[in-house]
Amino acid sequence: MENIANNDCSCCYTKYEINDLFCKTCGFPFQGTEQDQKNFLSERNVKEIDLESLNEKVATACKSLYWLSGLTAFSAIVIYFSSAGEDQLATLMTNIFLILSFLGLGIWSKHKPTAAMITGLSLYLIVILLNAVISPMTIVSGLIVKIIVIGALIKGIKAVLEVDKLKKELNID
Amino acid sequence: MEQEETPRKLCSNCQNEIAEGNFCSKCGQAQNDLEVQIYSKKWLSLLQAGLFILIQLVLCICAFLIQETSITITLALDFAMAGTAMAFFTYNWSENKPLLRWPNFSLKKLLAFVALAAMASLTLHFIANYINTRFLHEKFTYFDVYKSHEYGRYIMILSMAIFPAVFEELSFRGYLMQKLLIVVGEKEAIYISSFLFFIIHLNVLSFFWLLPFAIILGHIRIKEKTIWYGVAIHFIFNLTTCLVEFFNIDHFIS
Repeated sequence: MENIANNDCSCCYTKYEINDLFCKTCGFPFQGTEQDQKNFLSERNVKEIDLESLNEKVATACKSLYWLSGLTAFSAIVIYFSSAGEDQLATLMTNIFLILSFLGLGIWSKHKPTAAMITGLSLYLIVILLNAVISPMTIVSGLIVKIIVIGALIKGIKAVLEVDKLKKELNID
Repeated sequence: MEQEETPRKLCSNCQNEIAEGNFCSKCGQAQNDLEVQIYSKKWLSLLQAGLFILIQLVLCICAFLIQETSITITLALDFAMAGTAMAFFTYNWSENKPLLRWPNFSLKKLLAFVALAAMASLTLHFIANYINTRFLHEKFTYFDVYKSHEYGRYIMILSMAIFPAVFEELSFRGYLMQKLLIVVGEKEAIYISSFLFFIIHLNVLSFFWLLPFAIILGHIRIKEKTIWYGVAIHFIFNLTTCLVEFFNIDHFIS
């Protein structure tokens, strides 16, 4: 009642006109029954909780890009000191490129998570595929790490798309 | 008069006039339904783009793995890549059709792009040639694959200039970018498609020229809303390399 007297929406606190049946900003039913209003608020709360958990998934996926950079750096050092030959320099250059790429994508993911994760996942899958073509056994090595990273990135991309959709539904910019 | 000029926004459900906000104040209908529906399509678009890239990558790996490259194998792979590009492009025909138009055609602009492409290709060719001979002590020419054939020059132009120009543009600046634009913004779509274009060539060193080249083509495609400027630039860029090798201009200059 207090909110109605102040003409503030009970849900989003936007000012409304006395003739409005629904809030223009969030769709809250001013003239609905108490049950309608409770249902509206609980549905919105559920979506807001979903939004929080999806944001956490996005953050985890973004972190996995830094992890990929670190893991590539570690494997690059191991490969560099354990192998010798003509390909040593080419392998080192490729690894440096990958380390910097994943690091750059990790930084980019702070501003553009969707684009950074799509690029990161594509790059990682292409690297796995190429390694498997050159040496098929590489697909098995570090399999659990690969599954975790790929899973995190796929979940992250799905989550960031879902976040955008929920934000539109909740009318949050 | 002012009211007539301002477009009125009506509720999609009850036609009540909506002055502000995303919900109708009379029936409570959300007015961003279409945007929400588009978000539901995003994941599907990404999966389609992923499948497309996977097929392209497999074909590139095939080309990479075949040790003794012959004209027949090169052409077979070119046709396979062209077929993939055509299949995906036409599958989403209504979405991609506008890219085949050439709005605001400008001959001056086209000639300027073509001249810049030829100059860039020449510069790059000589830099790459210098690095190869000076530091790697080897000389690589694409023409070696084709020169044994009676029509080797024509086949090389078909395989190196016409096919990549048409079908890579149709694939990357056409189909792929159109799919990415459903998911991300224009700039991000340019960067992702350019990065994938560079990666698919399976050459780390090409980062220094293929990535900027693809970014420029992407910007032109977005700005001009057509793939034809890109096709022309790509064609002249690759054709210049072919001509330099045909007439052995490297030897002439050195």
